[in-house]
Order: sequence, then C-alpha cells, then structure tokens
Amino acid sequence: MLERQPYKLYMEPGLSDSCLIVGWAKDGGRIGSKLVEYLARELRGHCFAEIEPVDFFPLGGVTVEDDVAEFPEARFYCCRDSNLVLFHGDLPACEWHRYLDSILEVAQQYCNAREIYTVGGMFSLSPHTAPRQMFAIAGSPDMKQYLSRYGLAGDFDHDTPPGQRPTLSSFLLWEANRRGVAGAGLWTSVPFYLAAVEDPAACRKPLEFLNTRFKLGIDFSELDAEIARVNDLLARARSTDPQVDGYVQKLESNLALAEQELEALAAKIEDYFKRERL
Amino acid sequence: MGVRLRKEPVLNSPVLIASWPGIGNIGVIAADALRKALEAEQLGEIEPWDFFYPKKILVRNGVLEGLEFPSNTFYFRKTEKVDLLFFIAEEQPTPVGGMYAEGKRAYQMANLVLDVALKFGCRRAYTSGAAVAPVHHTMKPRVWAVPNQSKLIDEVKGYPNTILMSDLEGRLGRGNITGLNGLLLGVARKRGLEAVCLMGEIPMYLQGLSVPYPKASHSVVEVLNAILGIDATSEDLVAAVERGEKRVEELYAKFSPEIREQLDKLRYVSYTRSTEPGPITEEDKRKILEELDKFFKGKED
Repeated sequence: MLERQPYKLYMEPGLSDSCLIVGWAKDGGRIGSKLVEYLARELRGHCFAEIEPVDFFPLGGVTVEDDVAEFPEARFYCCRDSNLVLFHGDLPACEWHRYLDSILEVAQQYCNAREIYTVGGMFSLSPHTAPRQMFAIAGSPDMKQYLSRYGLAGDFDHDTPPGQRPTLSSFLLWEANRRGVAGAGLWTSVPFYLAAVEDPAACRKPLEFLNTRFKLGIDFSELDAEIARVNDLLARARSTDPQVDGYVQKLESNLALAEQELEALAAKIEDYFKRERL
Repeated sequence: MGVRLRKEPVLNSPVLIASWPGIGNIGVIAADALRKALEAEQLGEIEPWDFFYPKKILVRNGVLEGLEFPSNTFYFRKTEKVDLLFFIAEEQPTPVGGMYAEGKRAYQMANLVLDVALKFGCRRAYTSGAAVAPVHHTMKPRVWAVPNQSKLIDEVKGYPNTILMSDLEGRLGRGNITGLNGLLLGVARKRGLEAVCLMGEIPMYLQGLSVPYPKASHSVVEVLNAILGIDATSEDLVAAVERGEKRVEELYAKFSPEIREQLDKLRYVSYTRSTEPGPITEEDKRKILEELDKFFKGKED
C-alpha cells in the first residue's frame, strides 16, 4: 500500500553532515519550544519544511490555550552557518512511527543528518532555587563514550514504570539508532511547579551543552534576562502568598510535600504566572 | 511494515483463531487459553512499530537498549483433528485514548493477519470478543455468533450454547462488532475466506468496569472445542473463571441494595426472541443503567 509523503519541503536546506535537534511543544517547562526558538533566532534559522498535520492529529476543531486558538505544528529549520537542523513539533495523536520516520527522513535525505539530540524536561521535586540537573540517555555505547567528554554519561538503569509509556523522544532515538544515526536524549530537571508554565533556567542546560558541542557562540543574555524575570516572578509569588513560600521553603529544606501540597503549589504558581501573563 | 516469521511449518488447511483485546478481554483470554492448552508454538509476529506506541523503554548503563512494544504474535499447532494458527494481540492499534482500532491501520493489520493465514492455506478464521447483554453474572454466558457469509448460518445454528443476531429480541439480525475482532470478518469476506466471530456474553453492568470476564471466555472455548472437535480445556482458564467470579461477587456486593434488587431481575430475564417476556421491562432496564451510571460516576469522584 503506497503512502504519500506527509511533509512539504519549501526550499533546499543546503546542509551536509548536519546534526538534528528536536524539541517538542508543550513539554515540561516548555524546554523544547524555548530551546528551538532560541537557537533558530540566534543562528538565523529558516523554516524549510513542515509535516502536514492531517495524518497525525484529529483536526476535529482547535484547542484554545491562554485565550488563543492553537493548531498543531511540526516545522524544520535549517541553520546553515552552524550546520544544524532544528525540529519543533507537537506530539502526534496517532501514527507515531510514521511521524518520527518523517522527521528522520527529512533530516537524513535533505540535510544528511548524522547525529541527533532530543531535549526535554523531567519533573523534579527540587525547588527552583536549586541548580537544574541534566543527564543524557545515549542511543549507543559509542555515543555514551562521546558524551562522557562533556560529563554527560550516566550509568543508570531505567525501565518504564507500570502504567506509564516511554516518551516520544525515546521512540525517536530508537528509530534513529535503527537508521544508524547516532543520538542522545538530553533531559533536564524542571521543578514540578514550573512544568506547566516555563522554566528558562532548565532550557539553559541543554543550550550550554549544544553551544559547547557545536561551537555556536550563543549569546545567552536574553535567556538570562528571562531566567531573572521568572525568578523575580517566583519571588513575588512567595512574598505575596505565605503558603507558596512555605511550600518552597519545605522543598529548600529537603522536606517532602504531601500530595495535596504538591498539587496546591503547582496550581498556585500556574495561576500566578497566568495572571502575570508571562 | 511487515511480518516476521521464524518458522515455515507445513500446515494442512489450518483454522485461524485471532483475537484482540476488548470489553472483558473475553476473546483474548479464550484464544490464549486454547493456545496454552494446546501448547502451540510461536510462529512469528507483526512488526509492531507502525501500529503501536511502545510500552516500555529499557535503559542499561545510561544507554537505550531497546523499546518494548505490545505483542502481536502468531502461533501454530498441528493436532490429530485439525491444524491451528493463532494470532493473539496485546492491544488494538488505536489513536491516543481509543480502545478499538479503526481506519487505515486497522485495515492494514487485518490484512497482514490474513496474509499469514492464507500463506499457510487457511480455510476458516474465528475471531472472538464480547457481547454486552442484559444477563446476570451467575448465569452461564451464551455465545453470539456472526458469520461473514450466509452459507455458514446453518452450520452456526448447530454450535452449542450459541445464538445468532436474529435470535435477539428486536435486533432483526442486525448489530455491529467494534474493532478488529469485527473488522477481520469483513476483510476475510473481501478476500474470500470464511470467518465467524464468537462473542461471549458479559453482563451489561460489568462492561464499564475494565475487569476481565473469563467466564464468557470459557463459553467461547467450549464452542471452539465443539467446532474443532478437540478437547482443550486449560486449568489456568478454570482457575481464572473462579477468581473472576469472586471478583465480580465482591464488586456486586458494593452495589446498593436497590441496584442489586434491580440487577437480580436479570437472573430471570431472557432477551432472545423465542422466550416469553421476563419480569424486567424496558423502563426497568433504563432505570438500572441510570442508577449504575450514577453509582460508577460517584465511585470515580
């Protein structure tokens, strides 16, 4: 059964032996969106292709987020000077493998991609005042050895807990491995109460790694300004709401919050950020 | 997208028994019980990644070792009376949040299963699922049978403890079979293969509870044994029926006395065409369903 190509190419990206960097929309702390947006801006990336949504999303209407109608996106950007392909997309509702296949096909066929990194946020019970931690899942032992140069190789084991499913990044990494593309998943801790809003501090970690790895010469000043703005907002939330301050203090003292407290803190912060329209 | 076969057994016009999960997992439990009782050998599987989201990641020493997908396995068994092929799936290929497969992927999967069956000279296919019915859990579940060709109706009428759609009050022989257990029948018909779906009855008040109902699977196994002229009863299935009955009794005991009083009327009701009207009316049925809906919604809160 022949299937039509699910993507559109707008121009030849003009890359060779490139590296693909993948960030997902709406992931924890919005790391993926922020990172791809920042890289595309800093490296003067151009959108050169996109995956059509029709095969992957229900399209039975639109969702409204922060008063605005949303629509699924899946775009590729080429950054010629740095030889990077960026992909930013929503998580598909079906046809996952074909979606991932399309990402890799565009990257390999038109950009000769040899390497791939996915970025994502991982919920953490640490407070926002603690440094973010990043770790990598390597797609192969060779990649693990390579990552050790950057202090990113870990020796941990992990099996998906019962009742949960692996991330789409892991599925993508697995498929890249099958295609002989070296890759790694970069995971950064995001304080759980920033997962539904934005955590630019968590975004800085993978960005720092990519900056070093590809000698990108990124100017972090805008990102640092955003980090300062978020920290300021959190400080104001703490000073205006003693309950928020109490919960964060507990986390800072390494004390566990009860489930109700966890939920209350996350809800209060989300509400506060939305009111401030960050 | 393809099938990986590990063996090439020579089979004599085998019968295919295929099943995907659904309400009460009746079909899958039945097919798997037969497969185990007959000690069928693994034959191969459908490559899963085009159909399923992975269910597990395996990371060892910081390296992605692999992904585990829901299983979709073919088995075979040669017996004195009949050669059998099994296809047993752990999930139906559905979009996020769905329970039943539909559309392109469902059609592709049904065709892949039949490709394998026809490659080995299959002459007949059976699928199995659930028939949600106004019955009581203490009753022996009957089996609803739907063939994919009218010439099979007379044969199906001879199956034990089995009824046709036309035997059901007010159905006029109509109905539908959701998901791949139904779709395979249609695709088999398109490809000229005889097929029958055997659906074990599950009480309507259990359909939303996501509990397996092996008692109905047992009825399906009995019918398949009779059709195939074999005696493959699994001790595991008998034990599962006992455990299932206990679990259902525990759930039943949690219903309010009023609901139980209503549901107990199902012990005496028959919804098949040929019987006299029972003590349960349409109004009673509606009331029972409303009360149960309220009961389970309250439980979720």
